[in-house]
Amino acid sequence: MDFDVNYLLAQWPALFAGLLMTLRVSLLAIGFSLLIGVLGGGVRALRVPLLGPAVALYVEVIRNTPILVQLFFIFYGLPAIGLELSLFWSGVLCLSLWAGAYQVENVRGGLATVEWGMHEAAFALSLRPWHYFCLIALPIAFRTSLPAMLNTAISLLKNSSYLQAIGLAELTFVAVDRIATDFRALEMFSAICVLYLALVALLALAAGRLAAHLQRPFRP
Amino acid sequence: MSRVLQVRGLRKHFGEHEVIKGVDLDVEAGEVVVIIGPSGSGKSTFIRCLNSLEAPSAGDVQVHGGSAAHAGDRKALAKLREEVGMVFQDYTLFPHMSVLANIMLAPVKLGRMNKAQARDTALALLERVGLRHKAEGYPAQLSGGQQQRVAIVRALAMKPKLLLFDEPTSALDPETVNEVLNVMKALASEGMTMVVVTHEMGFARDVADRVVFFDGGRIVETGPPAQIFSQPAEARTRQFLASVL
Repeated sequence: MDFDVNYLLAQWPALFAGLLMTLRVSLLAIGFSLLIGVLGGGVRALRVPLLGPAVALYVEVIRNTPILVQLFFIFYGLPAIGLELSLFWSGVLCLSLWAGAYQVENVRGGLATVEWGMHEAAFALSLRPWHYFCLIALPIAFRTSLPAMLNTAISLLKNSSYLQAIGLAELTFVAVDRIATDFRALEMFSAICVLYLALVALLALAAGRLAAHLQRPFRP
Repeated sequence: MSRVLQVRGLRKHFGEHEVIKGVDLDVEAGEVVVIIGPSGSGKSTFIRCLNSLEAPSAGDVQVHGGSAAHAGDRKALAKLREEVGMVFQDYTLFPHMSVLANIMLAPVKLGRMNKAQARDTALALLERVGLRHKAEGYPAQLSGGQQQRVAIVRALAMKPKLLLFDEPTSALDPETVNEVLNVMKALASEGMTMVVVTHEMGFARDVADRVVFFDGGRIVETGPPAQIFSQPAEARTRQFLASVL
């Protein structure tokens, strides 16, 4: 078998640059998608008129169209209406909107598990609705939703490889680019698989720690 | 004696179904009023109307020296709620917050006290119910009786003019019922004005200044415990007491 480790070592700087790009775009998009999730999930759970159905429509559109089509729509379609974004921000926007739709549902599901008694207790203490939402419902829901949120974040990270289709120099783009000149497909794809696995493992580790932290008050 | 609570012509219906059929009630400062009655008599709905957890369909509720609220006046009802504390059957402590944070939350967020004042108040109140050592603990680490005592403290921290209890011991293990009742007795003897819905007839007899027998969405009979328990005037009251005592 012909597996050239030295070739990979020589390509490490390029791979590392791709890895950093994947990380930057993914972490930003995870942040934005959570923001979308909290706002959208709140709007859905509170049944805000007009906004609630609008969020529901957004979720349906995103979940029922291919992410690649969404990406091309943003990168090639939006400039036609004067919205021209850089490669990087097109990527961030695409991943944020895609994962945001799933995070909306994750947050909504978490909020649905918060007992009505919590609302009554907050109400009886004269706490305002936003106190209830931000300080009571959301933290309780967050603990319930965390595993689902992590799944969505992991999917986002993996889906960042679609961004090679618009030419963003992330991990998959670097690998495909090198293979086109050096024909070392086995080495390159093995390498980026390992790197993706490592990123996902790190994300899961961080979420695991957070979950343990959130779980502490609930241990007898 | 000054009047703390005045209820006039209170009605509440859910759709076609009328649950409270016109209730008048006055509660004087320092008075402990215990509401008894069969399940489904509307006594829980009634007490929930007193702090507008349920919006009354008709009638008005007035907290003396504070707000008067007619049915339908949402703003006034919300104002009224700030003067009335409530303790629920299932404690409803916020599970992700420490005992101290549960108690400090409302006074701090509503600008009643700064953090240091709220903390001092909370610790002093916890001391009184024998739970100061649990201040840093979480609700899940407490027994039901301890959680309910914390819930009472949480309501007291807002310095309410009136404290409502909706079956505060119904979810408790028999052996922890007394620790909660003792806290309520102590509050009563300190002059707290209280309206209590309960099935604890012993508490009603020993602590109440006045017992209200509720049935079919109406007050059937009201009077001092000695009278209600030994010489009830109404046949329906006698029937109920015979079945629970």
